[in-house]
Amino acid sequence: MSAVSTTFTTRQVAFRGGTVKVVEAGQGPTVGYLHGMVGLPAGELQPMLAELAADHRVIAPCLPGFTGSPTRRACGSCPTGSSPCPSWSICAASPAHRWWPPRSGRWSPSSWPVRPEAFSHLVLLAPMGLWDAEDPVADAFGTTMTEQRALLTADPAATARFWDDDPAVTDAAEKIELGVSRYLTRTSAASLVWPIPEHGFAERAHLVRTPTSLVWGTADRLVPPSYADRFGAVLPQVAGRYLVNEAGHLVDWDRPVEVAAIVRTALG
Amino acid sequence: MPYPDLPGDFPDRYRSVWVDIDPALYDPAVGHRVYNEYIDQLEYAASVGFDGVGINEHHSNAYGLMPSPNLIASTLARSTSDAAIVVLGDSVALYNPPIRVAEEMAMLDGISGGRLVAGFPVGSPMDTVFAYGTNPATLRERYHEGMELIQQAWTRDDVFAFNGRYNKLRYVNCWPRPVQKPHPPIWIPGGGSVDTWDYCAENDLVYCYLSYFGYKAGLATMRGFWNKMAELGKPQNPFQGAFAQFVGVADSEKEAYELYREPAEYFFNSCLHVYAGFADPPGYKTPNTVRAGVEGMVERAAREATARSEAKAKPKASAPAASQAMPFETMVEKGYVIIGSPDQVIEKLTEVGTSMNVGHLLTLAHFGNMDNELVRHNTELLARKVLPEVQPLFENEWEDRWWPKPLPTAQRAEPAR
Repeated sequence: MSAVSTTFTTRQVAFRGGTVKVVEAGQGPTVGYLHGMVGLPAGELQPMLAELAADHRVIAPCLPGFTGSPTRRACGSCPTGSSPCPSWSICAASPAHRWWPPRSGRWSPSSWPVRPEAFSHLVLLAPMGLWDAEDPVADAFGTTMTEQRALLTADPAATARFWDDDPAVTDAAEKIELGVSRYLTRTSAASLVWPIPEHGFAERAHLVRTPTSLVWGTADRLVPPSYADRFGAVLPQVAGRYLVNEAGHLVDWDRPVEVAAIVRTALG
Repeated sequence: MPYPDLPGDFPDRYRSVWVDIDPALYDPAVGHRVYNEYIDQLEYAASVGFDGVGINEHHSNAYGLMPSPNLIASTLARSTSDAAIVVLGDSVALYNPPIRVAEEMAMLDGISGGRLVAGFPVGSPMDTVFAYGTNPATLRERYHEGMELIQQAWTRDDVFAFNGRYNKLRYVNCWPRPVQKPHPPIWIPGGGSVDTWDYCAENDLVYCYLSYFGYKAGLATMRGFWNKMAELGKPQNPFQGAFAQFVGVADSEKEAYELYREPAEYFFNSCLHVYAGFADPPGYKTPNTVRAGVEGMVERAAREATARSEAKAKPKASAPAASQAMPFETMVEKGYVIIGSPDQVIEKLTEVGTSMNVGHLLTLAHFGNMDNELVRHNTELLARKVLPEVQPLFENEWEDRWWPKPLPTAQRAEPAR
């Protein structure tokens, strides 16, 4: 599949007293997408969404606090580190990517673990949520921005639309606000995983009844690919495991075509 | 309170003086010696005429060996009799629950007979979010909630419930109560955050700029605070401002250069060797500070440390001159360190006070790896020859509402010796 859709819409949806941005594109079976650390930068459609939108309807909410979603609190910023409900905590534990095609037409970012009937399949792209002190997840935020960028993708240019200033923006005030927005996105990402991205997911993983596929980049320097085995050991229904060559942690940014193909395979 | 025995090639061999510094570099015997020397030095400063002695809180580092300032303050509260005990301070968000801070400071105020200045920094990112693992996105909320709890605990005359986001206490009942009423003066140490200026200005608190880089570089930051005060229509009372400045006094300028070169170079080259990745975690700064483009002093220290390291790594011909380790002469020229004869130091400290409009000057008579004898020499010269000329500044024009009001001497307990 090589057709790519670049047409998309965005809208603001009420959420917890504020709003979140929801990006939508394409037609066909519905696929939901929860983004990773760089959010859904303004401008072009995220590259893998563009691939999938060729034959799917993709819906991608931008998590609270990330660019375009002004609601302040991301769900992981629980003050006590505990969580009021299993779905919430799973969301907190794993801010990386999840895919799910809703069956019922109604979906919520926090409902997939406790409403397995709503989703036919999950595809987890190098998720966080487990911790092995012998093989720790790297610290993505005790780094300089240059180092963080290099940690996230095998090709640092892959996420340029997040990290680099948009040359089309020349107004000084607008540039500053874009910088603030980027800072707040990084803040929201950090808030989900600080200081160690493990908040009891292993104890709650049994609640995830949906068939789940695991995808990792072989060059993931943030969450070692060996974590695929650890997730495989705690998730009840692992439907498939995939390694993507020459891809880093944000595997879908590094290799959008390959990962889109995996998603299609996983979704059948 | 720096660790004084880092190896000479520390900046070349190690990534950071803070957070992940090699524990093997710490020799407990050295620690034993310097803790006692540092306490002796503070007691000496109090005995020779300083208005107060100051201490602060840092973690996992060789920059300042004081994870618990209250421990040191408790010894000073007993061993000194008149000097203010300036705790600058307890990083509120790191205490769970922060009522502990209210209690310990009330104890210090009680032991000292009402000589406590209660300082409450947000804390450096290295201390708060890396060494103590606090989420940077919620650090300032925790801090402000803790501040609210502490002030209520000191001032309310009932047992009350505190239902915060981070602190849920059915019974808040601070025993002991502080001697000073309504509470000890509150100073807020800051490193350049716009929101800290605003917080101090709006709440009638002392803005205490703890700069590494001296009065010339600190001028813009202090102006930011005073501009905020003007914006709010509040008086420009210099005693609502405080500033920290490295100072070295000698009998002559030539001697000052000889005496203070090594400790200053040790401080700026080793004690500030902070890995840049620890200086600006996302969420530590407020959006207002990001928007204003203000660079905090820790960020600046880390940036300069990185520049020095990169310059060393490059062939000499290609290294930009500005990135080389800063010579002591430049530190003096830029005002990082004020040194000279007593008259020269008087002139410069007067300039610091008047140009920045600060009525509380925190003179750092010890820095880097300065040895005990030199610290005492510097402290004595400062106390006897400099301070008498500088202390009266502003006193006739403004009231200092932010200085401790201890019990009358006759009511104060005398420690048994």
